[in-house]
Amino acid sequence: MPQEDKAQEPSVTFKVKAGLPSDPQEMEVHAAEGDLKPWDLESLPGFQHMGKPYPRFDGPLKVTGRARYTYDIKLPGMLYGRMVGATIPAGTIVSIDTTKAEALPGVKAVWSTESKKVRFAGQDVAAVAAVSPEVAMDAARLVEVTYEEKPFIHELRAAMEDGAPLVFTEGEAPGGEDQRVRGNVAGPRRGGRGNVAAGFAQAAATIESTYYLPVHTHSCLETHGVVAHWEGEQLTVYSSTQGVYATREGLAEALETDRKNVRVICEHMGGGFGSKLSPSATGSAFAMVACKLAKKAGAPVKLMLDRHQEQLCTGNAPSAQITVKIGAKKDGTLTAVEYTSYGSAGVAGGAGTAGPANTLYANNPNLKVEEYAVFTNTGPSAPLRAPGHSQGAFALESAMDELAEKLGIDPLELRKKNESSPIRAAEYDPGVKAIGWERRNKKAGDTPGPKKRGIGMANGNWYVFANPNVTVEVKIHRDGSVELFSGSQDIGTGFRTAMAVVAAEELGIAPTDITSHVGDTQYPQGPSSGGSVTTNSVAPAVRLAANEAKKKLFEVAAKALDADPGELKSEGGKVFVAADPARALSFKEAASKMPGEVIDCSADRKTQYETFRRDLAGTQFAEVEVDTETGEVRVLKMVSVNDCGFPVNSLTAKNQVIGAMIQGVSWALLEDRIVDPNVGTMVNPNLEAYKILSPKDMFEAESILVPQANLGNNTSVAGLGEPPIVPTLGAVANAIYNATGARLRELPMTPDRVLAALAEAEGRA
Amino acid sequence: MARKLPAAEDQSRAPGFSRRNFLKTAGVGAAASTVVGVGGACTKEPTVIGPDATTLRLRVNGTTQTVTVEPRVTLLNALRNELDLTGAKEVCNRGACGGCTVLLDGDPIKACMMLAADAEGHEITTVEGLGSPDEMSPLQKAFVEADALQCGFCTPGFVVSGTALLAKNPDPTLDEIKDGLAGNLCRCGTYSRIFEAVQKTARRG
Repeated sequence: MPQEDKAQEPSVTFKVKAGLPSDPQEMEVHAAEGDLKPWDLESLPGFQHMGKPYPRFDGPLKVTGRARYTYDIKLPGMLYGRMVGATIPAGTIVSIDTTKAEALPGVKAVWSTESKKVRFAGQDVAAVAAVSPEVAMDAARLVEVTYEEKPFIHELRAAMEDGAPLVFTEGEAPGGEDQRVRGNVAGPRRGGRGNVAAGFAQAAATIESTYYLPVHTHSCLETHGVVAHWEGEQLTVYSSTQGVYATREGLAEALETDRKNVRVICEHMGGGFGSKLSPSATGSAFAMVACKLAKKAGAPVKLMLDRHQEQLCTGNAPSAQITVKIGAKKDGTLTAVEYTSYGSAGVAGGAGTAGPANTLYANNPNLKVEEYAVFTNTGPSAPLRAPGHSQGAFALESAMDELAEKLGIDPLELRKKNESSPIRAAEYDPGVKAIGWERRNKKAGDTPGPKKRGIGMANGNWYVFANPNVTVEVKIHRDGSVELFSGSQDIGTGFRTAMAVVAAEELGIAPTDITSHVGDTQYPQGPSSGGSVTTNSVAPAVRLAANEAKKKLFEVAAKALDADPGELKSEGGKVFVAADPARALSFKEAASKMPGEVIDCSADRKTQYETFRRDLAGTQFAEVEVDTETGEVRVLKMVSVNDCGFPVNSLTAKNQVIGAMIQGVSWALLEDRIVDPNVGTMVNPNLEAYKILSPKDMFEAESILVPQANLGNNTSVAGLGEPPIVPTLGAVANAIYNATGARLRELPMTPDRVLAALAEAEGRA
Repeated sequence: MARKLPAAEDQSRAPGFSRRNFLKTAGVGAAASTVVGVGGACTKEPTVIGPDATTLRLRVNGTTQTVTVEPRVTLLNALRNELDLTGAKEVCNRGACGGCTVLLDGDPIKACMMLAADAEGHEITTVEGLGSPDEMSPLQKAFVEADALQCGFCTPGFVVSGTALLAKNPDPTLDEIKDGLAGNLCRCGTYSRIFEAVQKTARRG
C-alpha cells in the first residue's frame, strides 16, 4: 500500500505541534499544494465534534430490520443461484454432467467450470440459477461430477514432511518465479538487521520456543454473495464487499466489458474482516458466475454462498509454526531476536506470519526474520484483520514473557525497557491502572485452590497506510441541507457516520445535519476497506471538499453580513464574523442566499506526508481464571490501550477496539479449522463446531484511546480496525501462565491443551 | 408474491432425498410438533400437504398474510422471500447462531429450524413488528444509543431475543442477560454493548 513520506513538489510547508498532548513536539510537514493546514495539537482543544461520541446513522435501520443488505435485495423476476463445489481436495475433473440439473423444472441457467485441476475441497465446479432457493438446491444436487482423485496434504506440519504429496508441480506455485520452492515449502522471505550471532554472544539469558496456531476462518455472518442484474449492456451488482470499486474493476475485466457498464452497490454489509476484498472471494469466482447466469437466464440472479461454502472457499488466516529465539542482557535489554515462521495459506501464497517481529522493539540491534509459505490442499487464505500480525505477536509476545520469567523481571518492565515507541510508552500506565497490574501473581500459579486467576499483557502494532486515489463530494443545498458522497463502503466500522463528523467539524454544523451516501460506484472513487485505510484515506478529502463548500458559502454570507469572506467563521450551526460573533446568520439562512440551487464541491485527497509515527501503538492486558481441574479458561477482563491519531467518533472507535478483543479471545480459546486427514474436507464447516465466542463467554472489556497528533494528512486521523487484535492472543496466553505457571504454546487454548500444559508444568516443578 | 411451482419430474435418482418422502415426513412433523406443544392444542388429524406449492395463512406482526410455497419452505424463507420481511437473517441455517430469531407466540424461536407450514395458527412477530426507524421500541433505541452493533447483521436476532428476555424478566442481572442471549452470535464483537442496551432498557422500565 502506498505511503509517501513527502508530498510531490510543489509542496507547502506547515509547522505543527505533533505527538501526545502531554509531550508536544515541533514538526514540519510538507503537504501537496492546495492542502489545508492539518489539525494538530493546537486544534485538539477547539474540536466541536471530532472525537466525541455519535451513534451511527444507520443504527435505526439496522435495529429495526430495515437495513437492506445484499442478502436482502429482491428484484422483480429474480432467480436464486447456487454454487456447486468440489467434494475432493486434490485431483482432476474428468467430467461435469449438468443435463439433469438443466432438465429440472424451474432451473433457468447452469454454469460449469472449464478448469480441470482440483486443489481443495470447495473449489468452484458448477452453478445453477432457479426460481427458488429450494429448487436451486435440488438442481445443485443433480450436477454429476466425476473426479480422478490424487493424494493430498491437509495440514501445515504434515505438508513440510519429506514425501508429502505435492500441492503444486514445478513452476505452478503462486508467489513469483524467483522464489525458492522445495516440496511444499516456499521461501524464505528475509528481514532483519545487525548480526544475531554476535547479539546472542552478548546475551546473559536466551530463550527459544516454538508456537503453533491453526487456521481461523473469517466467519462473516453475511456470507459472500451478489445480486447481478443486467439491463442491456448495463450491469448492476449488489455485492457484500469491502470494495465496490475493486469489485467493478474485477468484474469488468472478467466479463470483458467496460467499467462504465458496471455499477456496484454495497449499502450495508454483514462483516468482511479482510475476506471480501476480492471481486468474488479468494477461493471462488461466484460473483462473475452470478453475472454469467443472469445474462444467460435473462433475469436478475441472487447468489449467496451458504455457511458450508463460506467456510471452504472465501478465505481464512494462515496457520503458523513459529520459532522465536531471544537473547537479552541481565537488565532485560534485548541483544538479539531470531524469528522463523512457517505459515500455510492453503493453495495461496501470502502466508507471511512474522507480522510485528520487524517493527516491535526497534531498539534491538540484531534481528533475523525468515518467513516461509507452506502449501496445503485447503482453501486459499485471505487477509484477516491485521494479517500475519496476530500470529506473529502471539509468538513474539509469548517469548518475551518467557524471557521475563527466565530473567526474573516483571514482564511489563521488560517491555518498558525495550520500548521504542513514545506513544506506547505513554500507553502502559493507563492500562496498568485499568487492569490492576499490581494484583497479578508475583510467582506464576501461586494461588490456592483449583480455580486460579492471573493477569498478563502483550503488545502489538500496525501501520499508517493511506490510499491517495480518493475523491469526495459535498453538497450544500439552498435549503441548508448537506450531503456527502464517497464510493467507499461502510463495512460496520461506522465509516459513513465518521465522515459526517469530519465534514461537520469543518462546516460548523452538527454531524446529524449531514447525510452520508456511501458504497456505490456512482459516487466518487474511494478505497477498498482493508489495511485500516478507509478513514484516513477518505477523511482528508472530506475535509477538503467541505472546506471548498464552506468557502463558497462564506462568499455568499459575507455580502449579507457586510464582511469579508476571510473574516467569517462557522460553528454551532451559525456563520458569523469571527471578531464580532453577534453579526451572524444561521447556516440555513446563509445557504438561502446562494445564487443557484446548490453548492457542489468535489475534492481529491492530497498526498500522504510525514507522520509523527509510522506505526500505530497498542498494548493490552488480560485477566483470566483457569479451572485447573477441568482445564477451562475464562477471560474475566481485558483492557486495550490504542493510538489511532485523532479518533473521529469515540463511540464507534471504542466499539472497534472491544470487538477486536472479542474476536481475539475467540481465536485464542476456541477457533480451529479442522480438516479430516483421511478425506481432506473440513470437519466443522458451520458455526456450531467451528466455535466463535458467545455472549456466555463474554468478559469485561475496556477500550482506552490515546489521542495524538500523528499528521500524515490534514486531519491527523489513522485507522483502528486492525491494531487492537494484534496483542490479544499473547495477552491471554501470558495471563494463563501467570494464573497457573503453565505455558500454552499452541492455539486454541482448549481444556485438553491447558491440562496437558499443567501436567508439563507440574513435571517441571 | 405467491407463485405456483410446477411439480418436479422424476427425482427418484436424485442423491440425498426424495422430495415426496420428505413431504410425508414434514406432514408427520407438523403433527408431532402439535403433540409436543409448540403452540397450543390441535385436534385435527395429521394432514399431508404438497408436493406442490400450497397456500398457507400466517399471522405476522398482527396481520394475516397468505403465502403459497412448497411445504418444505422454512418459516425464515417464507418471511424473507415471500413477505419481504428481511430483518431475520440466515447465517448458519442450523439453529446455531440466532440470526433468524423471531417470536412465536411470544417465545424466541429460530425461523430457519421451522417449516412455514408449522407456523400456521401461531402469532409470529419479526423485528420489523417491534418498531420502525421513526418509532423504535425502547430496546431498539437503547441499541442505537449504546452503539450495540457494528455490521448489524446479527442485530435483528439480538433485538428479538432481548425483547423476549425483558418480557419474561423485566429486571435481569448481567448473568441472566448472558443466559437470555446465549443462543445468538455476533462476529464483530458487540456483546458488552448489547448487555448495556438491555440493562439500560430494563432500568428505564
